[in-house]
Amino acid sequence: MREEAQLVATLQATSVKERNRFGGIFRDHVVDTRQYLDHVRESTAGTQGRPVKLFTNHFRVTSRPQQVTYKYNIDYMPDIEDGKVRTELLLQHKALIGKCHIFDGSSLLLPQKLLSPKMELVSLLKKQVVKVTIEFTSELTPTSPDCLRYYNILFRRILKMMELEQVGRNYYNKREATEFSDHNLVIWPGYVTSILEYETSITLCADVNHKLVRMQTAYDLISALCDGFPAKQDLQEQVSKQLVGSIVSTVFNNKTYRVDDINWEETPRTTFKTSDGAEITFVEYYKTRYDQVVTELNQPLLISKGKWKKSQRDTPQEPVLLVPQLCHLTGLTDDLRRNYRVMRDLALHMRLDPEKRQHELQKLMNAIQTNKEVQQELQLWDLKFDASFLSFSGRILKEVRIFQGRRVFDSHPQFADWSKETRSGPLLNVKSLDHWLILYPTGNYRAASFFLQSLRRVTPTMGISMREAKILEVSDTVQSYTTALENHVSSKTQMVVCVLSSEKKDLYDSIKQYLCVSCPIPSQCVIARTLDKLQTLMTIATKLAQQMNCKMGGALWKVDTGLQNTMFIGIDCFHDIVHRRKSIAGFVSSINQELTQWFSQCLFQESGQELVNGLKACLEAALKLWCKHNLFLPQAIIVYRDGVGDGQLQALLDHEVPQIESSLKSVYPKDSGVKLTFIVVKKRINTRFFVESEGRLRNPLPGTVIDVEVTKRQWYDFFIVSQSVKDGTVTPTHYNVIHDTVRFTPDRIQCLTYRLCHMYYNLPAGEQTMRFVSCNSPFEVY
Amino acid sequence: MDNCEVPSKKVIEFKPPVYEQRYYFVKNLVNRHGLRKIADLGFGDATLLWMLKYHRCVQYLVGVDVAARPFEWGGGRLSPGVGGYIVPRELDLTITLYRGSAVQKDSRLCGFDLITCIELIEHLDSEDLAKFPEVVFGYFSPGMVVISTPNSEFNPLFPASTFRDPDHRFEWNRTQFQTWALDVAKLYNYSVEFTGVGDPPAGAEHVGYCTQIGVFQKNIAKATESSISEPEEHVPEEHIYEVVYTTSYPSLQQSKYFRLTLSSESVKAIGLMKSRFLRGLRKREGDRVVPLGSCTPQFGLTEAQRAEIDQSPKPYSVGEKFYVPLERLIIYPKVNHLVAGSMEKLRTILAEGLRLNGDQSAVQVELVDYQTQRLFDEHLISPVLES
Repeated sequence: MREEAQLVATLQATSVKERNRFGGIFRDHVVDTRQYLDHVRESTAGTQGRPVKLFTNHFRVTSRPQQVTYKYNIDYMPDIEDGKVRTELLLQHKALIGKCHIFDGSSLLLPQKLLSPKMELVSLLKKQVVKVTIEFTSELTPTSPDCLRYYNILFRRILKMMELEQVGRNYYNKREATEFSDHNLVIWPGYVTSILEYETSITLCADVNHKLVRMQTAYDLISALCDGFPAKQDLQEQVSKQLVGSIVSTVFNNKTYRVDDINWEETPRTTFKTSDGAEITFVEYYKTRYDQVVTELNQPLLISKGKWKKSQRDTPQEPVLLVPQLCHLTGLTDDLRRNYRVMRDLALHMRLDPEKRQHELQKLMNAIQTNKEVQQELQLWDLKFDASFLSFSGRILKEVRIFQGRRVFDSHPQFADWSKETRSGPLLNVKSLDHWLILYPTGNYRAASFFLQSLRRVTPTMGISMREAKILEVSDTVQSYTTALENHVSSKTQMVVCVLSSEKKDLYDSIKQYLCVSCPIPSQCVIARTLDKLQTLMTIATKLAQQMNCKMGGALWKVDTGLQNTMFIGIDCFHDIVHRRKSIAGFVSSINQELTQWFSQCLFQESGQELVNGLKACLEAALKLWCKHNLFLPQAIIVYRDGVGDGQLQALLDHEVPQIESSLKSVYPKDSGVKLTFIVVKKRINTRFFVESEGRLRNPLPGTVIDVEVTKRQWYDFFIVSQSVKDGTVTPTHYNVIHDTVRFTPDRIQCLTYRLCHMYYNLPAGEQTMRFVSCNSPFEVY
Repeated sequence: MDNCEVPSKKVIEFKPPVYEQRYYFVKNLVNRHGLRKIADLGFGDATLLWMLKYHRCVQYLVGVDVAARPFEWGGGRLSPGVGGYIVPRELDLTITLYRGSAVQKDSRLCGFDLITCIELIEHLDSEDLAKFPEVVFGYFSPGMVVISTPNSEFNPLFPASTFRDPDHRFEWNRTQFQTWALDVAKLYNYSVEFTGVGDPPAGAEHVGYCTQIGVFQKNIAKATESSISEPEEHVPEEHIYEVVYTTSYPSLQQSKYFRLTLSSESVKAIGLMKSRFLRGLRKREGDRVVPLGSCTPQFGLTEAQRAEIDQSPKPYSVGEKFYVPLERLIIYPKVNHLVAGSMEKLRTILAEGLRLNGDQSAVQVELVDYQTQRLFDEHLISPVLES
C-alpha cells in the first residue's frame, strides 16, 4: 500500500517490537539464579512475623494443554516487516494450518504436527508472490516457558475479540470513557495482563490501567501559541519546546509517532512522491485516501524520525512528515502535571482503591467467561482460569525501630509514618545554620519572611541552632540570581535558599547547575506559593529544615541494620527518552556504619545501554572513601540495583556482578573473604496485594512480606509492601537476590530490606543525585 | 480476491496497480452517488471495506466471504481505533462481516444501495453462477450492483497463457460478459453500463481493459413482473450468514460523542479567548472585569468571522471565573457548524458537560487553568485598570 511504503521505516520498528513484546519478561523468567545459592536450596520463604491472609490480582490457570505442541519457524521471501501482513500471508494457508494456531509474527504453535517438517508455500501480497517457508523447529512440552509466551499472544487476541482497543502494550475499553470536559481530557479504563509461571502454578496477572486521551490536536496547540507569540522566532521556539519529544497519534489510522522536529519550510500543500512515483500534496493525499479535509493550509509539518529502538540507534531512518491538524496529542504535559486541579481530578478517577480494583478485574474475568467467541477460542487450547483472586498467606514484619538522637520510637505500621515523632525532638545529627543566604524575587518578600519566621519556630525543637540569614532581593531572571550568588557567596556559606516565584524549570535548572557545578554549595529551592498557606506553613518549614539539614551533611534518624562493617550500594539508571541521548546511572554508597552519610557518583552511558560499565571506578572510589572514614575496608557489600529493564537479568548475572567481583578482587588482599550480595529491585510491577477485613478488600499494612505463590521457583525473590497510601492501592516492591555470598537467610534479608526502607531522606551529597534505591519511600522529606 | 498480474520478466506495469484501480473505481462511484449502505461480496482481506469506511456518506458496510473467520477480524483496520473516538464521524457507521456465500440468501443483505462483486464471479462454478443472479439481483435487489471480472482478451498480453488465478473457473471475453450481464439486467429489471480499469498498453487498445466492469442500476420507475424485488420490510427474515465481526463507530449522531465534541471545540475556543483576555488590557466594571480590546484570536478565522465575533458580547471575568457569552461562542465556525446555529442546542448540550452562569447566557470556566498558569508564571498578564 502506498502509505505503507511512505512510512516503511516506522512500520519496521513497530513490527519488530510487536514480535518481541513479551520477549524480555520471558527471557528473565527462565534465568535460574537460585541454582548458585545453595543456602536457600531448601526454601526461599521466611518465617518471622505475624501471618496474614492475602489476596493478589492473579487468577490461577486451572487447565491448559497437557500434550506436546509443535513449533514451526516461518520465513518470508522476500522478507516482510509488517506483522499484520505476515499474519495475513500465513493465513492464506489456513486450510493447511488448521483452526487452532498461535502465530507470534515469526513462529507458529500448533497442537498437531504438519504433514511435512518443511513446506514451501506461495502466498500473494497484492500482485507480488511471497514464498512462505514453514519449518518445524521443536516440540514444546506443556511446561515449557516458550508455551507461556504463546498463551500470552492468545490472550491478547482474546482481549481484541472483546473489542478492547489496543494502545501500546495495553488494552482499553473506550466505551467506558470518562470525560473531563473542563480540561478537554478523556480517560479510558483498560487492562494490563500477563500469563506467567510462579512458585506452584501458572497464573494470569491482570491489573487496571488508564489511558489519558487529550481532545487536542497538534494544530490546536500550535494555533494557541501562534496567538500568544506573534514573533516568528519566539513562536517557533515555543512550538518546538512543547511538541518535540511528545507522542502524537494520527486519528485516521491510529499510528503513533514521536515528534522529533518541526518543519516550518513546508505546509500541507507541499508535494511528496508516492510509491508509484506520482507527485501529490498532503492535502490531496489525505482527501483521497482517508476523506480527511486539511482545512488549515498554512500549518507547518511535524517530522518524526521513527521509533526509538535500543538495537537500532545507529540505523538512519527515513523521516516521516505529518500534518499537525491530523495528529492528536497524547500523554500528560508539564503544564498539565503542574496543575493541581487537573491532577486532583485525574487522580481521584485513576487511583482505584482495592475494592474498586477488584470490581474492575472481576468484570474482566466475567466478560471472558461469558463471551461465547472467547470461550470457543480458549476451548481450542483447553485454557481455563480461576474466577477469583489467588489467595495465600503472607507475613507482617515487626515495626522498625527509629533512632533519633537519644530517642527511640517505632514506625507506625498503620500509616508507615513517624513524621510526628521526628518533629518533636532533636534530630540524630544536627548541623547549625550559621552562614546562609535567602534569595527571593521582587514581590515575594512576604513568602520569604513567613518562611524565616516559621523556621525560627520549628528549628529549636529539632536541635538546629540558626543565625540570621543574609536576605537578598533579586529579579525573576537566571542572571539576577547568579549575579546575587556571585556577589554574596563566600567560602563560609553553608546553604543557599532560593524562593522562586513559580515553577519554572529553566530557572530551577540554571540555579541548581550554578550551585552544583560553578559554585558547589548545598541549596534549597522553594516556590513562593507553597509558603503562602498559613495552615501548612509549619509542616512545610519542618520538612524544609530537615531537608536542609540533610543537605548540609546532618542526619535525621537512623535504623539498626544489625550488620557490622557493611557497605550498602544503590544503583539506578535513567534514560533520556526525549533527546535520545546518553543514559545516566546513579551510584550511591554508604560511608559510615549508621548509614547516615552517603557518597554519590554518576555514570554516563551511550543511549539505550542499560548496563553500567564504569562500575569499577565508582566502586573503587566508594571503597576508598569508606576506608578513609572507617580506617578499614567493609567486610560485606550489599548492592540494591534498580532501573533494570525486562530481559536484562542474564546480562546482570553475566557482566555486572562479575565486574563488581573482579573490582573487589583488585582492591582487597587475597583471601580477604569479602562478601557480596546483589539484589535486583523492581518497583514498576503489576502485582498487587490485598487483605480482607469486615468483608472488604483493603491495602496490606507496611511491612507485609510475600515470599510464596507469586514468587518464582528459580529465584530467591520476595515482595515487600513498604508504603502506605491514603487513596488507591499500594504498590509492593519486588526484590530478587541474584548473588549472595553473605548467605542471608530469607528472614534476615527481608528484615534488612524493610529496615532500609526507612532510611529515605534526601541525600547529603547534594542535588540531582539519587535516593538510596532500595527505599520505597514511606516518608517523603519534601 | 485474486491477483490480476502474474509477475514475470515481461510484466505489464499498471500505475496504480489494477487491484487499486478497481477499488478506486468503487470508491469514486460511492462518492459520486453519496451511497449509504454498501455490501461487498467476497471481501477477501477487507481492503475495499477499509477504503470505504472513510467516506462521510457511508453508514452501513457489510462484507460477506465464504472464508471469513472471526478471529482474524478481532478489530483490525476496520475498528474505529482511538482516532474514531477523538474525532467522531458526522454520521453513524456500522460494519458487519459475515461468513457466507454469494449464492445463499440472507435477508440482512436486502435493501442496500450498492452491492459490489469485485473479481468474484469467475470463482463460481457453473451451478453457483446460475444461482448468483437470482440471489443478488432477485433477492438482495440493491439499487446498484458492480461486477468486475477479468477480460480474457487482455490475457495474451501476459506472459502466462493460462487463467490469471488457478481458482478461476472461467475468464470471459467482453462479448461473453456483456451477453451474460445484459440477460441478467433484463431479467431483473436493471440497466447496465460497461466499463473497466487497467488500460491496455499503446498499440493493443483493441483488447480493452484488463478488468471489465458492469455497473447495474435498478430501474425503479418501470418495475415489471419479472422483477421480484419487494420493499425490504416484506422480505421474510432469513439468517443464514454467520456474523464474524461487527462494530459501530462513535458519531456526532450519538449524544455522548456530540456532547464531547461540542464541549471540546468550545473549550478550545474559550481557551484562546481567555489567554487573549488575560494578556490584553482590562478594566473593572462593578464586580466584572471586562476587556478593553478585542479577545478574538487572529489565527484560524477569516476576516469576516473575526468582524462578526468582535460585534458580539465580550467575555468577562468575576473573581476567579471567566465567562464567555453563548452569543459569542456560537459565532465560532466549528461550534456553529456543530449546533447548526441553534442557541438552544448549544445551551442544552453545554450545560451537560460544562458549567453555565445563573441565567444560562454564558459558559463559566476557571480563569487560571493549566494553560493560562503559564501566562501568570511568565508575567504575561496585563494589569486590570481600576475605573
